Amino acid sequence: MSGVSSDELMAFVESLHRLLKDHSSEVEVRRLSQTPEGFDPKTWQALSALGVTGLIIDQDHGGLGAGPVELERVMEAVGASLLCAPLLSSAVLAPALLQALGNPEAKARLLPGLADGSRIATVAVTGPLGGWVAEHVAVEAKHSDNTWHLNGQASFVTHAQVADTVLVVAKTSAGLAVFEIEAKAKGVNICALPTFDHTLRMAEMEFANAPARRIESQRPVWDAVQEALNLALIALAGEQAGGARHVLDMTVDYVKNRYQFGRAIGSFQAVKHMATDLLMESESCTSAARYAAEALAANQADAPQSISLAAFACADAFCQITATSIQMHGGIAFTWAHPAHLYLRRARADAQLFGPPDYHRERYVQQLGG
Amino acid sequence: MSTDLVNDQALEAEVKAWLAEHWKPEALVTGEGFGRHPQQAFMTKVVEARWAVPTWPKAWWGRDLAPAQAKIIERAFAAVGAPGAGQDKSNLWANTAMAHATPAFKETIVPALLSGAVGMCLLYSEPGAGSDLAAVRTRADRRGDNYIINGQKVWTSGAAVADYGMLIARTDWDVPKHKGISFFFLPMKQTGIEVRPLRQVTNEAQFNEVFITDAIVSAENLLGPLNGGWGVLQTALAYERSVMGDAARGPRSGKDNPKGDGALIELAREAGRLNDPVIRQELAQVTAYKVLNRLNNARAKADMAQGTSSAIMSLGKLAMSRILHEEARLRTKLLGAASLLEGPDHPRAEDANFLSLNAYFTSIGGGTDQIQRNIIGERVLGLPKEPEIDREMPFRDVRSG
Repeated sequence: MSGVSSDELMAFVESLHRLLKDHSSEVEVRRLSQTPEGFDPKTWQALSALGVTGLIIDQDHGGLGAGPVELERVMEAVGASLLCAPLLSSAVLAPALLQALGNPEAKARLLPGLADGSRIATVAVTGPLGGWVAEHVAVEAKHSDNTWHLNGQASFVTHAQVADTVLVVAKTSAGLAVFEIEAKAKGVNICALPTFDHTLRMAEMEFANAPARRIESQRPVWDAVQEALNLALIALAGEQAGGARHVLDMTVDYVKNRYQFGRAIGSFQAVKHMATDLLMESESCTSAARYAAEALAANQADAPQSISLAAFACADAFCQITATSIQMHGGIAFTWAHPAHLYLRRARADAQLFGPPDYHRERYVQQLGG
Repeated sequence: MSTDLVNDQALEAEVKAWLAEHWKPEALVTGEGFGRHPQQAFMTKVVEARWAVPTWPKAWWGRDLAPAQAKIIERAFAAVGAPGAGQDKSNLWANTAMAHATPAFKETIVPALLSGAVGMCLLYSEPGAGSDLAAVRTRADRRGDNYIINGQKVWTSGAAVADYGMLIARTDWDVPKHKGISFFFLPMKQTGIEVRPLRQVTNEAQFNEVFITDAIVSAENLLGPLNGGWGVLQTALAYERSVMGDAARGPRSGKDNPKGDGALIELAREAGRLNDPVIRQELAQVTAYKVLNRLNNARAKADMAQGTSSAIMSLGKLAMSRILHEEARLRTKLLGAASLLEGPDHPRAEDANFLSLNAYFTSIGGGTDQIQRNIIGERVLGLPKEPEIDREMPFRDVRSG
């Protein structure tokens, strides 16, 4: 799909919208929120058939070979529908890390399964402190008897409880390395974490002398992790932009049709001005997400700072829009039955998932030379 | 090769040959903006050669060209730095006159406007009609072939040097406010007009107050129908908004200011505040406002190039208001006590303080942020208007103050 025309991309996104309309309705989102797996295998199959699970995986390994621009647009649709599925883990983080590490044997073994959806994978970097920084890695790997063994803890690992395979970043005596481990392997204990965003699945992992396979890499492992994280941040920004736009539209529609004092509440300037401010946030969010994707796709010098900008601007915009949406709806959105809080929960989760906005603001200043 | 392409190439060759013969690039262009142009002789040639408004009809200084062909001419002019092309898009005065003046008045005023022979100003706002422009109380009373004008206008740039002012005045007081306004080209060089510079918060005077006492304007200078001035004004305002863009002023101290996305960071470094983690967060945020506005504008332009109209364009002015106020606030914060000072020995303070005040130029001028939010809410988001209690009432009965 690399080098696709914008028409082809639009057609692809349109197909995805139709799929999500059927498979990710509000009823379905609420149903899946209550299941331990948090996703529907049939929907996962449908996403695979369309090519979404293999979107960024190269064509030699069964994927579409798409880049950041396509990924961002796809995630806008995903965000708008609150899709419940391990996409960020298995279709973005894991394949991006495998491709960044560039180990041909590991790619050949793992990527085709990720592309066709038969294998679900995730990446364990964050320790109990939750930061996406090397110092927070809390798993250690030791080599003995020709085998590597993992010990320690990883936490806030997205979708670990539904993963078949986990790519674990661990400390060795010679620096960081990536290890492949089966979720059911001996010495691995995965404990689901209760999440405020009920559409998210996240777990804590304990490793007690768990045997693991090392994925050798030609390049510094932390660079590869950063590369995967950059793609994940763009995917997340797309999700935030799509979700933000959807909530804005929903809210504007509501204030046009809700009558009090004999007039639509959207005619009150107090309400109208809130809507206009949210439009500004939503448009800025979309611009930031799309530009970051374009900058990375074209390998521009400003790609790193554009990704940081998107990371905090989209996180803040999605949070502000979903929070203000509840206020603008009034009492109806304070009820469990109204979907507004589902988006607020997703927005608050997205804002922490790969580093909080303050962290990305600090990085942005550094990237601009400060 | 299609005929269109052949025509385009012929046109390009023609305009390039014409410029090679007539344009002498040594003269620098300055002082454009209020109608009168410093290179009037050349501008007159541009009009006579029909390069100024090529999309207009042949009968009216044009060539009946499509916008895409007009672009060829604009590009050729831009390539050599020559002024005068593209006025069918940019010349607010000429476009307004062309659309609404009587044929006889058009014959004389339009070529003068296109060649930059007359200076112009805007006589819209009044002390009692700011955001609510339809509440103007300057009156125009018919006397013979003339109208007699009495009233007061404000925020008029270029009034002292203008030959004409585009004026809105009330011609019927017994109908609702939008329906009793007429639009005139008022001659400014007459005894009934007094121009006083208006000192503003920045201690400068870019604008004037205009006091009008029994000034005379010919009925020939009425644009559009009598009492149809509100419609004419909408044309004029649309052109004004499209050419205004974001012309916000920067610092004025004269001391070099850092440029680019890292500018605020450099100012923080200079002020010794770059290590403060709170300041660093704000540096990121204010810089982000600027960059996001740039990205929004780029996306709007790309949308428009593809033929889809863009909602984002209308957000630019509102975004700019926030950028200017926030940047000024952060500059002040970086300086701390040093912001107490002013004058040439304290250029950073001078800039921070000036920018803090001048930010209102954008957040009030050309429609306050609050009016802008109404417009965006209504036109872009489709939200209903607030009921207007004076909309259907005879203007005579409308409360003012």
